[in-house]
Amino acid sequence: MLVIKDLVKTYASGVQALKGVSLDLSPGVFGLLGPNGSGKTTLMKIVATLLEPDSGTIEMNGADLIARKDQTRRILGYLPQDFGLYPTLTAWQMLDYFAKLKGVTNRKERHTLVDALLERVNLSAERSQRLGEFSGGMRQRLGIAQALIGEPELIIVDEPTSGLDPEERNRFHNLISETGNENTVVILSTHIVSDVSNLCSRMAIIRQGKILSSCTPWQGIDELKESVWEGTVQREQLAVFKSQFNVISSRTFDGQVRVRVISKGQRPSEEFAQTPPVLEDYYFDLVNRG
Amino acid sequence: MRNPLHTPFAAVFSNEVLLNIKRVAPYVLMAFFASNAILWWGWGPAVQRGWATNSEFYIARNMGGFSFILGLPIFTGIIVGDAVIRDFRLGVDPLIFSKPIGRGSYLLGKFLGNFFVLVCCQSVFAITFCALQWVPFSRMVVLPVRFAPYFKHFFFVVVISHLVLAAVYFTAGTLTRNAKVVYGLAACFYPAYIGYQLLLKGLPRIVGVISDPLGWNIQFGFRPDVWSRSADFLNQYVLNYGPAAYANRALMIVVTTLCLVLVYLRFRIDPVEKRSDHLTKLTLVEAPGRIAYTAPANGLLDLPFEPATARDRITLPKVTSTQGAAATLFKLFAALSVEFRLLRAERGLIVLIPLAIILSFFSVPFSRFATDVSYSVISATSTANMLLLLLGCLIVFYTGETIHRDRELKIEPVVWSTPAPNSVLLLSKWLAMTLLALSLVLVGALTTIAAQFYRGFTPIDLKAYVLINGIIVVPSMLFMVSMVVALNMLLRNKYVAYVVAVGAGAGLIYLYNIGYNHWLYNPLLYKLWQYADLTTLTILAHRLYCLALAAACLFLAHIFFERKS
Repeated sequence: MLVIKDLVKTYASGVQALKGVSLDLSPGVFGLLGPNGSGKTTLMKIVATLLEPDSGTIEMNGADLIARKDQTRRILGYLPQDFGLYPTLTAWQMLDYFAKLKGVTNRKERHTLVDALLERVNLSAERSQRLGEFSGGMRQRLGIAQALIGEPELIIVDEPTSGLDPEERNRFHNLISETGNENTVVILSTHIVSDVSNLCSRMAIIRQGKILSSCTPWQGIDELKESVWEGTVQREQLAVFKSQFNVISSRTFDGQVRVRVISKGQRPSEEFAQTPPVLEDYYFDLVNRG
Repeated sequence: MRNPLHTPFAAVFSNEVLLNIKRVAPYVLMAFFASNAILWWGWGPAVQRGWATNSEFYIARNMGGFSFILGLPIFTGIIVGDAVIRDFRLGVDPLIFSKPIGRGSYLLGKFLGNFFVLVCCQSVFAITFCALQWVPFSRMVVLPVRFAPYFKHFFFVVVISHLVLAAVYFTAGTLTRNAKVVYGLAACFYPAYIGYQLLLKGLPRIVGVISDPLGWNIQFGFRPDVWSRSADFLNQYVLNYGPAAYANRALMIVVTTLCLVLVYLRFRIDPVEKRSDHLTKLTLVEAPGRIAYTAPANGLLDLPFEPATARDRITLPKVTSTQGAAATLFKLFAALSVEFRLLRAERGLIVLIPLAIILSFFSVPFSRFATDVSYSVISATSTANMLLLLLGCLIVFYTGETIHRDRELKIEPVVWSTPAPNSVLLLSKWLAMTLLALSLVLVGALTTIAAQFYRGFTPIDLKAYVLINGIIVVPSMLFMVSMVVALNMLLRNKYVAYVVAVGAGAGLIYLYNIGYNHWLYNPLLYKLWQYADLTTLTILAHRLYCLALAAACLFLAHIFFERKS
């Protein structure tokens, strides 16, 4: 169980990135959703021991992760949002290096692990290829592989599916859903709502350094039951709808606008019909209101 | 009519100038050139020989020397050679070439923009030299203030010479898109130019006069007997370039034009073919239907989970992570191996190692002379002095690269989130740099021994090599690496660390040379040792002091290491 309590972080520039964030994370995949600049990466970096908070605590199974950084790094697998690799090393050498840094000293065990990881992220054929020649997706897959070294109990993946093609994204979902078992906490930070809906048993929405909601995806969707409406309106009417309702999306087809709005207990107009809510509705509803 | 300042050419040109303004190299070059102008003006041969420091003779002579001696041909390659390569390396090329810009405008803007920056840097030498007319030393002959000769000779001797060199580097860099080719060409310039001069000796003089890119064979337009004339004659000498000089310069401009035409004709914007057969490609035509998007029924599971493929069923094997001193040592060796491999891949070594070999080779005397000590002592001492200077440069620049590499490559968060102690991350970099420097010392010593053997100065006294390198070079090298590591940790910016290290080093050497030299602030023992002293306790105490300073620097670096533990 990972418990984050009253985490505050203000950068030297004066930007307050986290304003008292508190979260309880049980084993499984936990989704952290939020727009760009909401504080997701700052929170991830603090949990990954790379940034010092101004105040607050993080504990995992009773152990203080901030005070005992070395202990934390032993149980941690981290995939940053924006990361690089040594361009002159090969994929195999890079993973072998990370395995060594994680303390896997047994040569045979390490080699078996590296081979399995490369196979798992579909990079076996490129094991001897220099990383400087890797495409963005291949680098991302290698990043995912290194985060899984050494059976980490806490896995932090920050925007992991950016740059992956649909097939690899699907494979990543499979991989993460298997990894998030009864002993492992996986924190998946993303702004792709479908990643959370696909993978996470619990989620939180963060905006401007504050947690707006922490629940299961089902609970979020349930909150909007019978509140989501879709209809087609004239383009001129759109401004009126925007002023009266929480407009989730508006897309133009043939001069008319297909609008999706949230309206609790009130039908926006004759043209609108009720539609089942999805997690994106809940996210936009909260973020727009927040 | 279109405003010439709003053309694509002007945009590329000004952008190149802007990019160079934000680089450190132009400022370093300017400072280097200005300090040399001061040095040549105040402490050059003019004062001793009674030449006027602003005579046409002295101005033209210095412009010729400046164009060749100060490594200018190499700097030209550094500034101009990778102008186009940079766009491809940074991935800006698709953004640029998707705009309505012509190939000619792009290439000419790139070339002239960078060449303009280069000329601005070079002009600092001429401007400083010109400005110094107002501050004469005592006993220095100075003629009435003048401007035209500075401009004339700078343009004729320096600008045109480097225009053709820049065009060659630019052509090579742009067509191969490989910076190593440019640096290789730059490194080869001096041996190639000296070889070319030797080759010219067997050919008619006119060939050299016309084809020499730096103008040494036209004597910069001087009459052949001018060098032996009196100071009074030289101070009144008016230098007018003859037809051969104009023909030479015209030919250089023609060669430049040909290079640019070649680049224009052969330049391609498509990516350089890599081993594409080894790359995985997403081919949508072959993509299986099962990954097609299906509309969400309830907001969950918008991508269908399929049965796991064979690959997905692979379970990751269980591994044992060890802790303790042995594990830490293991991590240190792992990190050292990677750091050293990364250092070895640095392209600058292609230049530095041959340079160390050449300089070590020339450290051995060419002829026999009467001496109290053996030739091995003389050769090893000479190599040690040369190597310390070379090692200083190597250590300052490569340590900066090593320390800041992880951050620049954005791999730092991944490495820092592993359970490797700070000492492992820091010491691995220190050890890798030390190993590289040691390799250079070894290469230097072996080359010197080989050269000594080749010239017949036997027997070879190996003890002299071991003592000089073991007692003088290696501890000094350890101190320099530790010092520069600490500087980089304290200042947290490699460019600031470069400036501080080079500035402090130059300042200290100046102090040592003017007599303020004491072992307390001269841990390298520059000019403070003789071979006979090497086995004395005093020298050993001084070396222990040097090693203690090195240890203190490493300790300081560890304290200031940014990663919190």
